[in-house]
Amino acid sequence: MASAAIQAYQAKDYKSELKPIWCPGCGDFGVVQAIYRALAAVGRPPHEIAFVSGIGCSSRIPGYTTAYGFNSVHGRALPIAQGIKLASPELLVLVAGGDGDGFSIGGGHVAHAVRRNVDLTYIVMDNQIYGLTKGQLSPTSPRGLRTASSTWGSLEDPVNPLLYVLGYGASFVAQGTPADMSGLAALIEEAIRFPGFAFVNVQSPCVTYGQEEQSLKAHKSAMRPLASLGHDPGDRLRAMALAAEYGKALYTGVFYRNPEPPPTYEAEAKARQQQARPLAPARRDILEMFRAQ
Amino acid sequence: MSSDLIVGMAGAGGDGIVSAGEAMMTAAALEGYSALLTKSFGPQIRGGESSCRVRVATQPVLSAGGTLDIAVALNWDDFLKFGSELGVDGRTTVIYEAASGVAPGELPLAGVVPREAIPVEVARLAKETAGTDRAKNSVVLGLLAAWLGMPEAAFLAGIRKRFGKKGEEVLRGNLAAFDAGFRHAAERPLREPRRLATPGKAGPPKLVVDGNEMCAAAALFAGCEFFGGYPITPSSEIMQFFAREVWKHGGSMLQAEDEIAGIGAVVGASFAGKKAMTATSGPGMSLKTEMLGLATIAELPLVCVNVQRGGPSTGMPTKSEQSDLLQACFSAHGDVVRPVLAPISVADTFGITVEAFNVAEHYQTPVILLSDQEIGQRKETVDAIDTSAFPVLERQRPTGAELDGYERFRATDSGISPISHPGLPGGNYLASGIEHNELGSPTASGEVHARMNEKRLRKLEPLKQRRDLFLEEGDPKAALGVVAWGSVAGVAREAVRLARREGIDVKLLVPKLLFPVAEEVYAQFFKSVEAGLVVEQSHQGQLYRVLRMFAEVPRGVQPLARSGSVPILAATIVERLRGQVLALQSRLVPEGEPAG
Repeated sequence: MASAAIQAYQAKDYKSELKPIWCPGCGDFGVVQAIYRALAAVGRPPHEIAFVSGIGCSSRIPGYTTAYGFNSVHGRALPIAQGIKLASPELLVLVAGGDGDGFSIGGGHVAHAVRRNVDLTYIVMDNQIYGLTKGQLSPTSPRGLRTASSTWGSLEDPVNPLLYVLGYGASFVAQGTPADMSGLAALIEEAIRFPGFAFVNVQSPCVTYGQEEQSLKAHKSAMRPLASLGHDPGDRLRAMALAAEYGKALYTGVFYRNPEPPPTYEAEAKARQQQARPLAPARRDILEMFRAQ
Repeated sequence: MSSDLIVGMAGAGGDGIVSAGEAMMTAAALEGYSALLTKSFGPQIRGGESSCRVRVATQPVLSAGGTLDIAVALNWDDFLKFGSELGVDGRTTVIYEAASGVAPGELPLAGVVPREAIPVEVARLAKETAGTDRAKNSVVLGLLAAWLGMPEAAFLAGIRKRFGKKGEEVLRGNLAAFDAGFRHAAERPLREPRRLATPGKAGPPKLVVDGNEMCAAAALFAGCEFFGGYPITPSSEIMQFFAREVWKHGGSMLQAEDEIAGIGAVVGASFAGKKAMTATSGPGMSLKTEMLGLATIAELPLVCVNVQRGGPSTGMPTKSEQSDLLQACFSAHGDVVRPVLAPISVADTFGITVEAFNVAEHYQTPVILLSDQEIGQRKETVDAIDTSAFPVLERQRPTGAELDGYERFRATDSGISPISHPGLPGGNYLASGIEHNELGSPTASGEVHARMNEKRLRKLEPLKQRRDLFLEEGDPKAALGVVAWGSVAGVAREAVRLARREGIDVKLLVPKLLFPVAEEVYAQFFKSVEAGLVVEQSHQGQLYRVLRMFAEVPRGVQPLARSGSVPILAATIVERLRGQVLALQSRLVPEGEPAG
């Protein structure tokens, strides 16, 4: 990482004046700090960044940055972000939200964002609970969990965000926790720099409705950096085997990084535009193609 | 000599009936006729029965018309499946496949005795000349060219356009089949001729285009740089046009994973500062409703086309209906007014689509463009459109001074706040679906919410003064008034002309702006009106009900509304008007006083 002295932007340049609505001690405070640091390291000016979210506690996050933000509707951040990136490929586009936003109501969009390979960085703040609506089951809640909407315990298995996204064919999949701030900032920076769709699952504990064993303190002792296991991020099958332990082990770092990233949708679109442009009629003559002959 | 003829044809899939109709359209366009082509298919994905109607006239064609002047049945089973869509009566000349074995006096037409019934060995002529009965459609074109007296060369050009891309052999076969049909007819003149008068002046060839392609082309003209959508009948042709053309203009498109993502990407592209559009039909509109609300509160321009079909739910995917008006006007939650525009023909689709973008961009609002299957998928000959006559508006961007302490949702007299976009230094703001203050910061303040609601509704008020988005015809002082919109407006225009020709004093109002309701325009129109009709293709009479909510509709004005698929005919409208004239005379003219 470049030293602070030669960075064009500091972390504070990305921090807005809005006061977060989050509960004291919420993991999302750490995530937004890590994002400030990552953005400073990347060094794009705030006005060249579009930060899109859905609905949920964590989806408030764009408003806490100085980037162009879009706090949209529940589950729809990815389609909106793709529209932004395809319309203006020069922008840096970040997407963030919770596990409910990304893997429940918006779950249908993830596979398609992945396979289109639009160059987005998608950060999910995974807390295994619906916090904004005051403590109901989320798609990543463990089986048996008692919540406001599962008084007798959940009857469902959770989704595995890491394995889903790897299975969809994503080229960059990582996991972090705000318990390791510098590690998380470095992961987000790497995801942003990755040329293509990049997914970072952040275990971001809910201090109000979450489980005891999911506190930042618990993360500190439970987390296992993948680098320390000697994991090769180019090994997709091994990455899937490790990802399968989601919910049991807390691995941090890059699970998979495609050594040969495929072309992005917008890069292919640009090539097509260049190929097609010579065929364009003058705009005023656009109806001539319909003339009988 | 006729100046206006309706030809209806039906056959099995593979008979190329629709191709014949398309070739006839090209011929008409080259010769300076006005023509209109509608197609209808059975429910099968491939094969099955297909039919088309071509109306050709020396004067502008306003609707697909009613009963056929000439019916062509390549086989009777398929022909009869189309029922009233291919209506036949005693004035119809019926041409049919002789191999059906049906005698001219025994046609299966429920007792209708047509003006003339002519069996032709269409399949045999095709086989003998082209070597395949797949050229039956070209035989039919030859028959029609000869019997209608339309120039052979124009038909040949139509055939070349239709079959040229299928290879030299296929083209040669079809040209020979045409010739065989032409000679067959030339040697056997009709007992009662059906010759078509020549159009007055032959200008340059006209355009031949359907409403969906016209809509997409108009969007590109208006500067649309992004399309997001999902395949759905009967609007997919709009997306397909973008897939083919948008790259040439430096734009991009996305076939999304669902209807929501389609419009979601459009919302994103608009946030990024680009003009963007999506297109769908009823079921897709239901799914897109949430995103329309987001675009309203985030004040983001976009155009959402609904090519209406029969509903609810899957309903009647291939049949036209005007039953999504209530949805277009009222399907949002919260206090929302969304502009709704509707074209009345293929030609009109150009200007109305450009206008939809202008309204969206100027007022920073989603605009619903309500087309319908009839307009979307029918083809019309269209006179050259001078595109330079259509101004294109851009959204108001903040000036340098306005970027100093930029307020995205700044309170202005007009309610329109200059809008920035990512990439513009100093314009940074938070767009949101949550209520926000002038800066864009989320708020739970009731006062701010009320202020923002007022702003978002006030900015659209000037739209109600847009008299140019209304068409008025007939005597402005008439006591009889007709209101019609969308594809049915053409039928109503034709009906009002017929009625006036028989001495009925009637006028017509066609709104192309459906919502917000322009109260004053209706008040002025209804001032002289004592009776009349609101004509529309919906069971409930949806426009009639919307007008009753917002305007003073005279008690004598009644809905003439029916569900989709069965067309509303000009003759039906005229008949209802005759009844209303009688009622007015008996009710309103006191004895002893001269009728005014």
